[in-house]
Amino acid sequence: MIDYLQFVLAPQMVTGLSLGVAVILVALGLTIIFGLLDVINMSHGEFYAVGAYLALALGAAGLNFWLLLVLVPLLMLPIGFLVEKGLIQRVFNSPDRHTTTLLLTFGLGLVIEETLAVIFGPNTQRPPTPIRGAVEVFGVMLPNYRMFLIGFGLSVVAAVALVIYRTRLGAMVRAAAFDRHMAASLGVPVGFVFAGAFAFGIALAGLAGVLLAPVYSVFPTMGRDFILLAFTVVIVGGMGSIAGAVVAGLVLTQIQAISSLFISPVWSDPIVFGILVVMLVVRPQGLFGRLGRG
Amino acid sequence: MVEAATGPVADPARGARPIDRIGLAMRASHLLALLLLAGCLVFALVAWRTGDVFYLRLATEALIFAGLALSVDILLGYTGLLSLGQALYFGLGAYMSAVLLRSGWSFAGVMAAVLLGATVVSFLGGLIVSRVRGVYFALITFGMAQVAAKAVYNTRELGASDGLIGVPIVKIALGFTTVSSDSPIGFFLFVLGFMVLLYLALSYLLDTPFGRILIAIRSNERRVPFLGYQPQRARLCAYVAAGIVAALSGALYPMLRGFVSPELMSFTTSGNAVITVVTGGAGTLVGALYGSVILTALRSVIGSWTSHHLIVIGLIFMAVVIFFPRGLIGVIRARLESWLVRRRTR
Repeated sequence: MIDYLQFVLAPQMVTGLSLGVAVILVALGLTIIFGLLDVINMSHGEFYAVGAYLALALGAAGLNFWLLLVLVPLLMLPIGFLVEKGLIQRVFNSPDRHTTTLLLTFGLGLVIEETLAVIFGPNTQRPPTPIRGAVEVFGVMLPNYRMFLIGFGLSVVAAVALVIYRTRLGAMVRAAAFDRHMAASLGVPVGFVFAGAFAFGIALAGLAGVLLAPVYSVFPTMGRDFILLAFTVVIVGGMGSIAGAVVAGLVLTQIQAISSLFISPVWSDPIVFGILVVMLVVRPQGLFGRLGRG
Repeated sequence: MVEAATGPVADPARGARPIDRIGLAMRASHLLALLLLAGCLVFALVAWRTGDVFYLRLATEALIFAGLALSVDILLGYTGLLSLGQALYFGLGAYMSAVLLRSGWSFAGVMAAVLLGATVVSFLGGLIVSRVRGVYFALITFGMAQVAAKAVYNTRELGASDGLIGVPIVKIALGFTTVSSDSPIGFFLFVLGFMVLLYLALSYLLDTPFGRILIAIRSNERRVPFLGYQPQRARLCAYVAAGIVAALSGALYPMLRGFVSPELMSFTTSGNAVITVVTGGAGTLVGALYGSVILTALRSVIGSWTSHHLIVIGLIFMAVVIFFPRGLIGVIRARLESWLVRRRTR
């Protein structure tokens, strides 16, 4: 029993947790973009892939991993800003915003994915693990890099929550999410906040890409495999809810990790999807409320 | 997209006699469909005279995928629901057809079984998805198709990642003649006829009061219950109809290519159908057919000098979404409608 806990269950849970933290980072960007702009960003997974490829390319050029951790999200910011200003805003006021922006970002994702395949080739690549080795805690071997990923990711999430709920900037963001017209009339630069939030969400996806690249491999369609899980987290947690993304991200990845011990990992996706379906039937608004509301 | 159902518009030239906008749009669609049919027949004649096989097969495939696009159009163009997983039913039809053909079923038997299977599966799926709309509908259809594709991908009985190969040639008895699925010209004409029938059936269905409810849901779902209709039930029916259309089209695929692969169920296939409908013009039915033909031609042309044709297709698609949200046929049909009105009033 102890052996099972020590050698099977605990490592599996740590693996699930590191995936969970990365999913939360991706889902956080999705949920902020939805909460604020009312836009479903279908290309979010592709931006996660862009982050991973940037880390791969810049790492191969000799840049240090710690530098990449800061540099890649910073590089993603202008990309996101331009996408919001140049593409999203063009259809933002169309009668059916949900569908139109979804279609537009879907097309964008397609273009990004193929562009990555053209530049880097279709094959799977893997950057070296930046932190080697493992520590032993109560007899459980914990890979150092995964522990770092969990700690770092969670601090980023905490920092985001702190900024949104405790600063003046965050108050502007929440105000714009609650009522953009009222916020605009009170002097909040809504257009800038929207573009900034979109860019920030993209940067979070890029950061997740950097963090996960050494663990999972890097390939052009990597975003597509990841995005269903991220969307599930966002829906189960509540579209536009930060706390919801964190809770749902942790719970769903743990369910996936633990269930794959008992059944074939192939069926872990259907299980997560089943939870999504039940959630939509029982509580369609998700676990928590939307950004800017309560 | 479909014009908002604002009710009959008074025709100034004829005083009180109203113009049925939706009926007019449907007539314009029929004219365009007739044009496409003529174009296909000319193409068939030329291909037959020159003894071409490759382009006939490609055109047949374009028509089969046009069926999938039609099914997306019922949902997106008429009911206002974006399905990102319609390939689920296309794949269902294709796999059922491949499995049954391999065990020696006849064409009629296969199509009947696919019809039944698609009705049952899309009804069950519809019970889930008709509860939601908007982005939730898009995401849940996406998820459902992903899970199904993954399940097929990992089922050894269905050939797993390799798919099923060696689907036998099928003889289609039409009463007056028999078409063999390995005859390029014969099967092309058969699929063309099949798609014409699907198109006519759907344009009839969408012209019934049921079709008008769907259009009403697209325009303003909240008002529909006040008229005494249940949007959820209508959404379920639309979803089942779309599932059947997609599955019947999918059933033709293994007859053409002799194999099925999990790719048919993948997001790429669903996404392509959405691109086809939006580029061709959502809510026009005929736009789905034109879109499929044009995009297949484009893919084949671009594909001859680069394997990364998706970049070009994706950019075209984005440009259409931004600049021509009504799509190619949507723009053309609007012109055609005003021409029809002018001709009537003259």
